[in-house]
Amino acid sequence: MNDGENSAPDSFEDYSIVASGLKKSFGKLRVLNDLSVKIPGGTTYCLLGPNGSGKTTLIRAVAGLLRLDGGDLRVLGEPVSNVRRVYPRIGYMTQHKALYPDLTLRENMEFYAGLYGIEGVRMSERISELLDMVDLAEHSDRITGDLSGGMYQRLSLACTLIHEPDLLLLDEPTVGIDPILREAFWRFFDDLAEKGATILITTHLMDEAERCKIVGYMRAGKMLAEGSPEELKRLAGLRPVLKLWVNDPEASASILSSRGFDVRRVEDVLQVTIEDHQQLKEVLDQVVPLDLRLIEPSIGDAFLRLAEDESR
Amino acid sequence: MMERSLDAKRVLVVARRVVRQLKRDKRTIGLITFAPIFLLILFGYALSGEMSGINLGIVDFGGQDALKVHLQSVDDFDLLYLGSESDAEKLIVEGRLHGAVVIRKEEVRILLDGSSPQITSSIMAESRAGLLSPESLREGGRGEVLDGGVGRGADDIEMGPEIVQRYVYGYDLEMMDSVGPAVLGLVVFFFTFITAAISFLRERTQGSLEKFMVSPLSRPEMVAGYLLGFSLFALLQSATTFLVVVFVFGVPMNGNPLTAFAVILLLGAGALVLGAFFSNFAKTEFQVVQFIPMVILPQVVLSGVWWPLQSIPAFIRPISYILPLTYSSDALRAVMLKGAGISDILVPDLLFLVGFFVIVFGAATLMLKREVG
Ligand SMILES: Nc1ncnc2c1ncn2[C@@H]1O[C@H](COP(=O)(O)OP(=O)(O)OP(=O)(O)O)[C@@H](O)[C@H]1O
Ligand SMILES: [Mg+2]
Repeated sequence: MNDGENSAPDSFEDYSIVASGLKKSFGKLRVLNDLSVKIPGGTTYCLLGPNGSGKTTLIRAVAGLLRLDGGDLRVLGEPVSNVRRVYPRIGYMTQHKALYPDLTLRENMEFYAGLYGIEGVRMSERISELLDMVDLAEHSDRITGDLSGGMYQRLSLACTLIHEPDLLLLDEPTVGIDPILREAFWRFFDDLAEKGATILITTHLMDEAERCKIVGYMRAGKMLAEGSPEELKRLAGLRPVLKLWVNDPEASASILSSRGFDVRRVEDVLQVTIEDHQQLKEVLDQVVPLDLRLIEPSIGDAFLRLAEDESR
Repeated sequence: MMERSLDAKRVLVVARRVVRQLKRDKRTIGLITFAPIFLLILFGYALSGEMSGINLGIVDFGGQDALKVHLQSVDDFDLLYLGSESDAEKLIVEGRLHGAVVIRKEEVRILLDGSSPQITSSIMAESRAGLLSPESLREGGRGEVLDGGVGRGADDIEMGPEIVQRYVYGYDLEMMDSVGPAVLGLVVFFFTFITAAISFLRERTQGSLEKFMVSPLSRPEMVAGYLLGFSLFALLQSATTFLVVVFVFGVPMNGNPLTAFAVILLLGAGALVLGAFFSNFAKTEFQVVQFIPMVILPQVVLSGVWWPLQSIPAFIRPISYILPLTYSSDALRAVMLKGAGISDILVPDLLFLVGFFVIVFGAATLMLKREVG
């Protein structure tokens, strides 16, 4: 039964999730297409990708909810076939909210606490702590079904965190949550990661991706690109763009082009791609703008670029 | 992969949640409590008229066409066609038939309920009339009645059937006495099945099932938690139904009420796991409702709640024998009317109900597993 914790290769120990060559098809549709990924412990790892690219499917595979067609997957050191053993250490938030609308908020939390053997004082403390965190403390005795969509989502997150999991699988946890609370969530996630938890999260929001240590970009069941947000932008060949409002766009554009700059004219605004501060200075020596703005590339741009490259 | 053993604490956690949910659902509570009473009163009065006629069983092995035609033409007789003499005898003992005529070419046996002389003489008179009618005389029949016990006609000189008359001492029973115990099982089965199917469907659609799967809770623990939670409500429901059956309709309670409750709980457990199993085939609550004609109706018709099993045509009867309600009705009648104890209803009733529960429990947990894509 016990295939020996000692015999586990050392390299796995630093990783919460190690997947190599994962394959999964639903009928003819290949949803995971030879996908490999390693997620170190204590990291926030963000899965990005268009709808249907297989993010939820990957998370479900990690949760042991999928019969894989091939590949090797280890979760918290256990092969995925034995993932049950580490379920007490996993928190899984599905795209569905998984709450009982006819129970009160507190009753929902008590139920999930009970499943993990949390009871008594520890349970009530943990529940108040989490309800505070998701800013629902004053609603704790309301019927869950009466909550607004965002509140529902917040409670769902609180229920997922009830047992202080080491590995959090969060499938779009911030959908429908207002910006202020979203910020609070992310601070909380950072905090958890700092304490050693691994967070695998999916989102469609680029500013959230930007906050993660590692971002993986999925497309058609493959990991297209992976790295820190900065690495990815560099990989996509993105550089800052200087926007210039000038009196005579026509003339200024030709001056800059003749100096070898990459200039684009959009209406009366010039967009100049620059590498560094030296180039910024050079540009401003040539033209005197009425107004200017320096635009750092976003991770969203990086993915648009990567997606374009892929389709070519 | 080995399923872990049942953890009592987690089962209780699920049970407490189920109870909390049901408790808050006042409409369902009301339905669970009062619907059976309403149904019983409705059935009770609707059925009370049915006993005005004489219920006569016919066991037909061929021949005596004139007699059959004659018996059919008697307005007072409600004929019930049965497969064997022993079936007929059983029904007379249970008080559900007043008599029976077993027809063979060479012999006509008349089984009579000794406890109601007027009805007895009416059955005898009509049977004789049928045999002495001109057509039957032409057939060469002759009528002779041999009184007393299991006697046989001695002087069989001419061609034609013998008439053998036999008294069976039945239980003087009203329709409600026989229907009441069976309806008790029916209402518990119906409401438990529907409520369970919808509850499990919701677990699936709202995503909690998927979330459980990634928690220490095992599938058997989840189903066991539901069983525990629901059994409280099944008890409440059977208690109210029971009181109505016994005190309003005066159905006797000759056995131990706890035995009757045990049968009902066992039946309810079967209904719950059956609901859990069927929930896998529904995508919406609307589709759950569509199971009623499929799962509930056959049991209403074929399990001997309203009319005896023996009157159901032989080629359909195998279906009756795989329906849990058939066995619960039989067991509840035995306990309430005849004062049977656990050991009397063990075989086949309790055995079948336990077997049914175990098999469907297994199937339901397996189906939950199928969620894993
Ligand atoms: N159980 C299933 N049966 C059949 N097809 C499925 C199943 N689960 C997922 N799919 C298909 O697999 C593909 C990937 O789905 P998945 O849910 O992983 O996408 P996603 O990246 O999470 O998308 P989204 O951003 O919309 O959440 C989709 O085309 C989906 O229809
Ligand atoms: Mg998804």
